[in-house]
Amino acid sequence: MRDIMRKEIRLSASPLAFLFIAFGLMFFIPGYPILCGVFFVTLGLFHSFQAAREANDIVFSALLPIAKRDVVKGKYLFVCFIEACALTLMAIATAIRMTALADAAAYRANPLMTANLFALGIALFIFGLFNWIFVGGFFKTAVKLGRPFVTYIVIAFLTISAAEALHHFSGLEPLNAFGTEYIALQGGLLIAGLLAFALMTFLSCKKACGNFERIDL
Amino acid sequence: MSIVEVKRLVKRYPSFELKEVSFGIEAGRITGFVGRNGAGKTTTIKSMFNLIHPDSGEVDCFGRPLIGNEKEIKKRIGYSTGTVNWYPRKKIVDIVRVVSRFYDTWDDGAYKKYLELFELDERKAPVELSEGMKVKFNLLLALSHKAEVLILDEPTSGLDPFSRNELLDIFTGLKNEGAAVFFSTHIISDIEKCADDIVYISKGKIVAAMPREEFAGRYSKEKESLEETMLRMERGDFDA
Repeated sequence: MRDIMRKEIRLSASPLAFLFIAFGLMFFIPGYPILCGVFFVTLGLFHSFQAAREANDIVFSALLPIAKRDVVKGKYLFVCFIEACALTLMAIATAIRMTALADAAAYRANPLMTANLFALGIALFIFGLFNWIFVGGFFKTAVKLGRPFVTYIVIAFLTISAAEALHHFSGLEPLNAFGTEYIALQGGLLIAGLLAFALMTFLSCKKACGNFERIDL
Repeated sequence: MSIVEVKRLVKRYPSFELKEVSFGIEAGRITGFVGRNGAGKTTTIKSMFNLIHPDSGEVDCFGRPLIGNEKEIKKRIGYSTGTVNWYPRKKIVDIVRVVSRFYDTWDDGAYKKYLELFELDERKAPVELSEGMKVKFNLLLALSHKAEVLILDEPTSGLDPFSRNELLDIFTGLKNEGAAVFFSTHIISDIEKCADDIVYISKGKIVAAMPREEFAGRYSKEKESLEETMLRMERGDFDA
């Protein structure tokens, strides 16, 4: 798997996939829907899939002395790697906003979602959606990118809108807690996001391996 | 026993069918896989690499079925397909650095030898290469891991007569080193120049799979060239 990952990074990946990791730092921006940063990270990944398709990467990989399912696993591994890098930046931004900048006026006056553990949980959920809808959808044909990406965009923005709106409903204000307020609830929501990500990625990868075995390249 | 055995491959498409394709590839011999455009050559070759899933039939390599032994078998087979661009904007040296790690049989000496022989510049990207040089780059990858069998899809198409001749000489050299070379073509003179065996496919069906001399003895009329024989057979006239 190390050799496959090396191939993904050195040959298949678009530089934009790495560059767009920096959008994780959007978690610092006040007065902006921070979860859009998650979407931009996946936009870089989408471009990477597009570039790999134009470079005949899938057929090339299937010809290497590896099992066909390892081609799929390699792609998921690369996607998760980029997502983990972006999530690390988001986590750093969140940690700073929850501690050193917890009382910063710009953040306190922010009518939009604040960067907290709930936001990180939703970020994980959106990454899970990308892996499930887009990556899984791509491996139904190993060629067509448009439909799975458009489906993902619609569902991702509905999720972002819902996440942004939730804390405005009565009783759901703790979702937008500052600092370490409601930390137990926030931590629970982060774990829930992590579990949803793991489940969506695992099930999607398993299905994609089966689909990829069946399609003609 | 053949080192690669294709057994009764069937693949049905709405407008085309591969009909119980069977043949073998022998070690130390060059096999020409000939047929007109659309006869089923690429479909057959892709099935031999599990890139296409046949409706029935199987492929055995080195005495083992391909399915279930893909990883080990692919290490011993080299594949090249015409002028397809792999990673067109990456430098050859970067592609090779990655690919070489997948093969424990990768031979840097052979890589340097063929790089020089093919006059390829490893600092160039495939997009900067001519059609002929692209074929040579694909061959370079296949030859540098000491493949025991080379399966080449239309390696001579798009090449000028000089490069074609050069390539066919390389096939002969590889055969002399003990490798099996299996190449598809619709250029019958390529077969006449170097093939020991002929596998002739027409409309998805194997018409003949035998040594070249046997083929000529069975199907060619007196003073008829191989090309004339095949053109006649393609018209449906099989009487020698």
